Parts: sequence; C-alpha cells; structure tokens
Amino acid sequence: MAASLAASQRIDVRQDRRDARSKTLWIGGGALLMALYPFLDNALGINRLGSFMAIFVLVILAMGLNIVVGYAGLLDLGYAAFFAIGAYTNAFLTSPTSYFVRNDYIPEFLRHFWPALILSFFTAALFGVLLGAPTLRLRGDYLAIVTLGFGEIVPTFFLNATTITGGTLGINPISAPPAIPFFGGDLRFGASDQRNWYWLMLAVGLLSVFLINRLYDSRLGRSWQAVREDEVAAASMGINLVRTKLLAFGLGASFSGFAGSIYAAAFQYVHPDQFRFSVSIMILAMVILGGLGNIYGVIFGGLLIASFDRILVEVLRDPVQSFGRTFNIPFLENHDLSQDRFLVFGLALVLMMLLRPGGLIPNARRRAEMEPESEEIAAAESESLYDARREQEALAGERA
Amino acid sequence: MDFNAALFTQYLIIGIASGALIALIALGYTLVYGIVELINFAHGEVFMMGALFATTVVATVGVTNDSSGVAIVFMAIAALLASMLFSGLLNAGIDRVAYRRLRNAPKLAPLIAAIGISFILQNIAIYWKGSNPITPPSLIPTEYVRYNVLTEWFGLETRIRLRVLDLAVLGVTIPLLIGLTWFVYKTRTGKAMRATAQDRDAAALMGIDVNRTIAYAFLIGGALAGAAGMIAVYYNNSARFQMGFRYGLFAFTAAVLGGIGNLAGSVIGALCIGIVWSMSDGFMSQYIEGWGAGWTPAVIFAVLVLVMIFRPTGLLGEQTVDKV
Amino acid sequence: MSEQRFDALVQQLETQRIDRRTFLVRAVALGASVPAIGAALLRTQPVGAQVATPAAGGPATAAEIGMPGIEHLTTTDKGTIKLYSSWPLTGASEKIGGDSAEAVRLCLEDRGNAAGGFALEYEALDDGIAANNGGWDAGKESENANRVVNDPDAMVYIATYNSGASKISIPILNAAEPPMPMITPQATYPGLTKDTPSNAEGEPEIYYPSGTRNFFRVVPADDIQGPAAANWAFSTLGATKAYVLHDNQLYGAGVATLFRDTFQSLGGEVVGFEPFDPEAPEYQALMTKVADAGPDLVYLGAIVNLNASKLLQDMRALMGPEEVTFLGPDGLVNQDFIEGAGDAAEGAYITFAGVPANTLSTGAGQDYYTRMSERLGEEPDAYATYAYEAAAVVLQAIDVAQAKDRTAILNALAATEGFQGLLGEWSFSDTYDTTATTMSLNVVKDGAITFQEEIAPPAS
Repeated sequence: MAASLAASQRIDVRQDRRDARSKTLWIGGGALLMALYPFLDNALGINRLGSFMAIFVLVILAMGLNIVVGYAGLLDLGYAAFFAIGAYTNAFLTSPTSYFVRNDYIPEFLRHFWPALILSFFTAALFGVLLGAPTLRLRGDYLAIVTLGFGEIVPTFFLNATTITGGTLGINPISAPPAIPFFGGDLRFGASDQRNWYWLMLAVGLLSVFLINRLYDSRLGRSWQAVREDEVAAASMGINLVRTKLLAFGLGASFSGFAGSIYAAAFQYVHPDQFRFSVSIMILAMVILGGLGNIYGVIFGGLLIASFDRILVEVLRDPVQSFGRTFNIPFLENHDLSQDRFLVFGLALVLMMLLRPGGLIPNARRRAEMEPESEEIAAAESESLYDARREQEALAGERA
Repeated sequence: MDFNAALFTQYLIIGIASGALIALIALGYTLVYGIVELINFAHGEVFMMGALFATTVVATVGVTNDSSGVAIVFMAIAALLASMLFSGLLNAGIDRVAYRRLRNAPKLAPLIAAIGISFILQNIAIYWKGSNPITPPSLIPTEYVRYNVLTEWFGLETRIRLRVLDLAVLGVTIPLLIGLTWFVYKTRTGKAMRATAQDRDAAALMGIDVNRTIAYAFLIGGALAGAAGMIAVYYNNSARFQMGFRYGLFAFTAAVLGGIGNLAGSVIGALCIGIVWSMSDGFMSQYIEGWGAGWTPAVIFAVLVLVMIFRPTGLLGEQTVDKV
Repeated sequence: MSEQRFDALVQQLETQRIDRRTFLVRAVALGASVPAIGAALLRTQPVGAQVATPAAGGPATAAEIGMPGIEHLTTTDKGTIKLYSSWPLTGASEKIGGDSAEAVRLCLEDRGNAAGGFALEYEALDDGIAANNGGWDAGKESENANRVVNDPDAMVYIATYNSGASKISIPILNAAEPPMPMITPQATYPGLTKDTPSNAEGEPEIYYPSGTRNFFRVVPADDIQGPAAANWAFSTLGATKAYVLHDNQLYGAGVATLFRDTFQSLGGEVVGFEPFDPEAPEYQALMTKVADAGPDLVYLGAIVNLNASKLLQDMRALMGPEEVTFLGPDGLVNQDFIEGAGDAAEGAYITFAGVPANTLSTGAGQDYYTRMSERLGEEPDAYATYAYEAAAVVLQAIDVAQAKDRTAILNALAATEGFQGLLGEWSFSDTYDTTATTMSLNVVKDGAITFQEEIAPPAS
C-alpha cells in the first residue's frame, strides 16, 4: 500500500516536471514569436506596433491588478489611479516643462528615465499603502467603492491642479530611456522608434511574469491565497492579515505606477483623461475574463480585450463588408463594424462570462473548487460536518 | 465674505431636488445589492433606457401647449408608469438572461457581465436615439418652466426660486419611497426579499422561490430607475446615451454612503451627494479662493472615502460580517 | 420606365457620379430587384481600388477652388498616392468625425480621385477607442501616425481633431526622414505652431525635433478667435462684466483663457473663470452662482459634445437673453448644439472662423453646403468645411509637386498663396497657419445660425 502510494507520487513528480517543461516551452515559444513579430509587422506592412505598445502596458497593468484581485481577493475599482500617479511622477521628474523641473526642485541625476521609473514604482506603492492602511479593514465591496472613489479623485486632481500639472495641457515631452548599445548599433527610444519600444515593453512584461510567478510561489504568495480563501483560518494559522493585504495592495499599486511611467515615456505625453474610470474597468475585465488568479489567463485576457478595441474591430470590418457584397446583404455591405464596437464588446463580455464564468484559463485551485476532479472529491466537498458526524454515529451503532 | 442665507437656501433646494433623483436610482442599486450582492453596473444604463423610452412615449401620444392641465398630468403619469414598466421588465429580463445563470459562478463573473450589458445598452441607445443629446418633446407648458412657486403661490418677495419641477421631483420620489418601504416591510414578497437577502439557502428551505424573489428585486429596482429616467428627462430637459454613467456612479456612491442594503440610508446618502454637489458647484467658491465646479467630482468622492474610513458601514449601515 | 431610370443610375455609379451607398438607397427606392442591384455593385469596384475616371463634366466647384493657374491633372499613369486622416469616428464623436471624413471623400470625388498624375486613395483612421467612449487614445494616435509614416504610398496625414492628439503625432511625423507633411482641419490649440501667452513651456519648438516645420493648419488657431470675441464683446456690445466657463479641455480652456486675458486687457472685468464638469447631468447650482455674480456676458469655451447645450439651457433658465449675452467659440457651430439647447439657444452669439457655410449665399461655399447636406441627409458639422478645405489644398499641392515625394509636397503646401477656398482667400503664414483671420460673429435666429458681422482681434 505504502509502496504503491510512493510510486504514484513519483509518477506525479515526473508528470509535474513534464508539465513544467512543456509550460516553459510554450512560454518561451510564445515570447520568441512575439519578439520576432516586429519584423513581420514591417515586412507585411501591418503597422500595428503602436497598438501593441498600448496593449503591452495594459497587459502589465492587468498582471498587477491580478495580484490585488486574483491573489489576495481585494476588489480594486480604481486601479487606474496608480497608473496615473506613476505616469505623472515620471512627467514631473523628467519633463523639461514640468513645474518641478522648471523651478529646479529636482536634482539633475533624477531627471532621467531609469531613476524616474524606479521612483514611480515607489511613489505608487506609497500611495497604495496610504490608501490601503485605513481602508483594508473594510469588507470587500466597501473597499471596492473606496478604490473607485480614489480612482475618480486622482484624475480630477491632475486636471484641476493646473499650477503643478498644467491641467488639460498635460505634460510633454517626457524623457525617454538613453540608447542601449546593441550588436554594434544603438537601440534608440524616440517617439517613432516603435520597434525598440515594443521590445523594451516585451522585456519588461516577461520580467514581470517571472517576478510575479516567483512571488506567487513564495511564502507571501501562499499567504495571499490563504487570506483569499478564508481570512479567519488564515489568521489563526499565524498570518498577519493587515500586513499581507497591505503588501498585496502596495505591490499591485507599484506595478501600476511602473506601467504608467513606461506609458508616459513611450507616448511622450500625459493627460488626465488617459486615466479615467473606464480604464480601471477595462483592466478589471481583462483580469476576470482571462481567469482570476492565473497569470497566463490574465495575459491572454488582456491581449484579447486590449486588441479587440484597437485591432480586431478594424481588421474585421472589411471581411464583414465583403461578406455582405458576396451574398448581397446590403446591410452588411455598407456596415461599418466600428460603429458597433460597444455592442460587440459588451456581447463578448456577457457571452464569455456565461460560457466560462471562471475565465478563459481559470486558476487551477479555483478550477478544482468549481469542477472537482472526481466524484469522490465532489461528494466529500458537499458533505457537511453534520453528515460526517452522523455517519460516524451510524458506524459506531453498527459496531455495537 | 458674509454668509448669504438666501443663496445658501437656493443651493440647498437644488441639492435636495437632484439628490431626490439620485435616490430613486440608488434604491434600485441597494435593493439588488442587498439580495444578490452584485454591483449592478448596468443599472445606470437601465435608468438611461427608461429616460429615452419616456421621450418616445410622450412623442407618440403627444401633448401640445394648449392641452388642458388634466391631460398633461394624465400624460405625465402615463409616461411615468410606462417607463417604469419598461425599465422594470428590461432589468428583470437582463437578470433572467445573464445574471441568473451566474448565481453560482465566482462572485466577479456577474460584475463583468453587468459591465458588458452596460456597453450593449449604450450602443442600443445610440442606434435608437443617436449619439447627441436630445431634447424631449414638450410636456410641461412653457410658462411653468420658469414659474417660481414661492412668489406665485405664496406671494413671497424673494430671490429664492422653487420651481414646479423641483416639487415634481419630490412629488414622485416621496410616494415611491413610501410605497417601496411598505412593500419591503409589509408584503409577503417584501418579506421574502428580506429573507433572501439575509440567507438565501435558509430562505429556500422555508419555501421561498429564491429566483422569483430576486427577479422581483430586479423588476422593482428597474421600475424605480425608469421613474427616475422619466423625471430626469424633464427635470434636465435633455437625454443622452451617456447620461446613465455619471448618475449611476453617483447613485452607487449614495447607496454605499448610506449603508448599502439599507433603504433609508440610500435616500440620505443620495441627498448628501446632491447637496455636496450643489454646494461645491456654487457655494464653496465664496469661501475658497480659486475653487471651481471642476473639483466637484473629487469632493463627492473624497466625502465618500472619509465616511468609509471613519464609519466603515456607511451612515446608517449596520455592522455586518463577511460571510465566511 | 423604372428600368430606364435604373440603367441611368447604374451608369451614374459606373462613372462615379454617385457613390455606392447613394446608389443603393436610390435603387431600392426605385424598387429594383436585389440580384440586379447586386450585379451592378459587383461590376463596379469599391471606390478606393478603382482607377479613377475624371468626373464627366464634374461639378463646377472643383475649378473654382484653389490657386489660379494650377492645372488639375486627372490622369493616373504615375501610380497611386494614399491619403490618411485620423480622428475619432465612433461614440460621442460619430457625427463630428464622420462628417469630416465624408467631406474629404466629397473633395476627392469632385476631383476625380486623382491629382498630379496619381490615382488617390483615402483611408479614414480612427484614433478613438471604445474604452474612452469613442474619444482619442494616445496609443491609437501614435500607431496611426507611425503607420502613415511607414507607408511608402502615404504622402500627407490629414489629422487630428484633438489638439492633444496632435501633440503626439506631430513629433512622430516630424522625426521621420524626411519630415512628412501633416495638415489639420480641426486642432486649434495655438501652442502647436505659435508662441502665445497661453503656451506651456517650450512650445511650439518641442513638437519639431528635426527643426523643420511640417504641420499646417487650415483652421485659424484660438489665439485669433478668443481675442476677436473679447474685442467684439467689449468694444461693440459694450459688455463690462464677463463670466468665463470652459470644459477643461485643451480647446475650450485655451480659447477661454485667451478670451479672459484680452477682455481684461481691454478694461473689462472678469467676475469668474472656471471649468465645469462635462459629465455632470445639470448645472443649476453653477448657474445660480454665475447669476449671483451679476455678469452681463457669459463666455463658454467648449465644444458641442461636451454638454455645452445643457449648460446654455440651465443658464437661460436663470438669466434671460436681454439681461445676459451668451457668447461661444466655433466648437459650438453645430446644429446639434442648437437642437440640444432648444429655445434657450435663441439669441446665442457664436464666433466662427470665416463664415458658416449655411449662411453663404453664393459660390463654392454654398455649393459645398448644399451637396454635403444632401449627401448626409442633415446639416454637416462646421469643421467638415475645413476638412474639405484641407483635402483641396493637399490635392493642389500634389498637382504642383507632380511627384510622389513628401518633401516636394511639403514645399508645395508651404508655398500655398492666394488659395481660393470655401471660406474666402487665404495663404499659409510663416508658422504654417492660415492667414484667414477674419472671424464672423453669428447669432442664433429662429433655430438657425445667422451671420451678423465680421470681427477681428484688437489691434495690438
């Protein structure tokens, strides 16, 4: 009995290794393909790199929000606020037109992309902790509404505090990273060097995937899951609830700030309207649609939603029209699909949720909860303590 | 600067009237949230559809400036009921098609479905009425639009304006609120709702048809939104596909501010928001140099955040514990 | 008989006298059978891909518009040139953006979809996304600009609607080698080209990293409009106390700031200057405050789709036209503004660069207005006029350059002088702004925008 158990465990280990290897293969292959895409984009005249830049930023944001919502189970409806804070931090520090630079409040060594990037990371984390510390004790949906409020306050502040932020003028230009020497040539980061920006963002994205994966498997990551599943149980196992939640909130915020900083530099312009409530909602939709708590699901969901709005609608427009032409359906023939953007997007969200409520690629642990692997587990899960006790009593009765 | 009491009263009147409008929407939010714990993002859009429907009803039946007063009042009530019915059925229909299937799904799935539905409804509204603001067909005789109740009825010599429209908003909101309270606390269905809100499984064990009870909550919440839509169209004299967003956000905030799930709390929260809104738009610049109406959204949400920090259950909310 | 009319219709379609949509509508109205319509449509290619045929006896306007002495070539033997535009096309901007794109199409059709020996193709890009309610997005605009730069067939970028979007795309086109010409029918923020007091630090040089100017404006910038409005309000109308409101957008805030500064420098008093929240459903409290300040004029720096009509309604509920004058910029020249505000719009004053097309009684402008209205089935948006103008001047530059060369076309554009446009004669100044600085003051009378007088900024 014991031997067979050990054997099955060995097989499990081997299976796990094989799974891990195939996963690495998939990710590596995917990353390689994406790294090679710019050549294709250029050769085929697709010209979609600008969209991909925005899409990558959104995907990084979705990964960050996944820490807060997916891992720690804290619903955040104002995630774009930290995005804005990161972007504006970078703008304040590096733009020659910013209030702080003009008045010489910023030391010279900070007025560059990389130091600003790091500072954005910490500023956003600071605001995350400041907001989180008094509010994390609220129950779930109340926390959601506080974050929503914060998400509205931040852009309104940037819009109206005109002396510092320039208000609706926005801030531009913003310092780009210095050229990186690469095989003899330089990788430059001007507004039109989209290919280099694409690679930089891809690299940052992959780094984030790696970091978040390590985090998920760490002691902290496991405490997040424990807190998400059952706060009381987690606390009685010795997990410090406040600290654990705050770390999730702060780390999530810092990811957002980081992404904001890159976004500001890539497009050389920040404006309060880029960080409105709808952005928060869009990122949340990516996380949930892709699969709450599963980083690959979130990446997939993010790519899907972000590219739907920017790419798919336009790509699909012509086929729909020619379909209408071929089959003589005047309505389709003259129909501009981009007019139905909201409708198609909304329908997609609703249908996805109806068909796969756990997301496209659900988190393994959640999947196990929702669709137990075997009848036995399902039965065991649905059995209550009371049933168990009665069964025991019945057994005892039998024995007697 | 001296405290200007007349001006202050004026802002109070404006705040209360817009607060009453928000309250109707907030009640729908709270009703649905209390039972299914769903932040129904599509609620603002249901309100908007009710508003557009009201304009269609009035336009189809038609009232002219020389219609008799009775005809106008009758028309207004008919349009109100029609848009209540429309929005109620719409909301219940959405529940039937989308949310009901997601009752046992992860908690956030219905939230995303609601976001999706709000997009769909907005696009339908664009197809229906175009993307620009529309002016509703005239219903209120022109001479009443600027009619000041205080001077005309009470003969007061004052700069304070209390319009028929302000009274009309309260005249619709207060009866609906009383009716709703009666419904929830006195009728069988209302009791079933409260029971379902408390513990869905226990309610089901007691023989309550949970799905039907939830459908009622959506129906009533939608009807209130429809009423609010009809009023908003004539109170604001304009309607647009985007109008649900800001109203919906304010209403949701109001519901949380007052203590979500608590009917009276929602109304108080909504009045608070209405008053803060009008004070920030108007009154505050007298005291704060450089204050402008642009800050208003920030003020409203700052009030919310502060209330949440110091009274985490909302103004009237009771201490509740997360279900374990 | 109906068959004869159908044949005539098909012929019109084949010679591109009417577009496919018009053909479809008319054919259905004639009761033609679906297979017959389908066959006719299949026979003709979609406009973009078709080799242009000169419009037989084309509209007279094509000849009237432009600089005298430049021959318009309708041959297409040299190849294809592609034109792109970029502005929001969906959501709240559907009408504004859609009308402008339609105006560009009309201009191209008027000239037989050809210029300088090249066949012309036009594609209207959208820089809006659904997540912004159809509003412009930085990523999308950056992509559109780069896409155009990377397309070897693309010669001119007709963009953008929002000045904020221009801030992103001008440097991208400017840094291209060689810099690619960009022309805007709508972006009016002065800092994009000129050094004015309302500029942010370093403008406009920060937009032109290569040092060469490549950004043209056929629409007068706000530094003309705001001061001209203030001059009229103070000197002609005799207003002394103004309350200034704006929508907190680049255009609205910019024109409002310039109005305020000029009004004050002329000696008027500005009793209030503040942004309003364009997403708020009503403005009673704000208007109560405005009324309490006791102005004799309210200036509103805003565009129509940011709730401007609602603001005017709430203002008129408290302040009648005889007590307080309403004045606004050309962002409000749109029938939707007047319809949205209803009775409250009566007596509202709106400034406009040039003369609104619907008030033109003769010439190219009137012809354009009639044909656009027919094409759209409703009043065209005011900026669509500039879109037509921009397309016309671009086509002429291609006629002059007669080469598929961005620098040659840029130079030809810069050399534009004495251009006979829809709104009068104009040239490009040394900042590549239009020299047409004549503004008109218009008043809403019986629900229509009516020309009242010409106005100008105060002599400095």
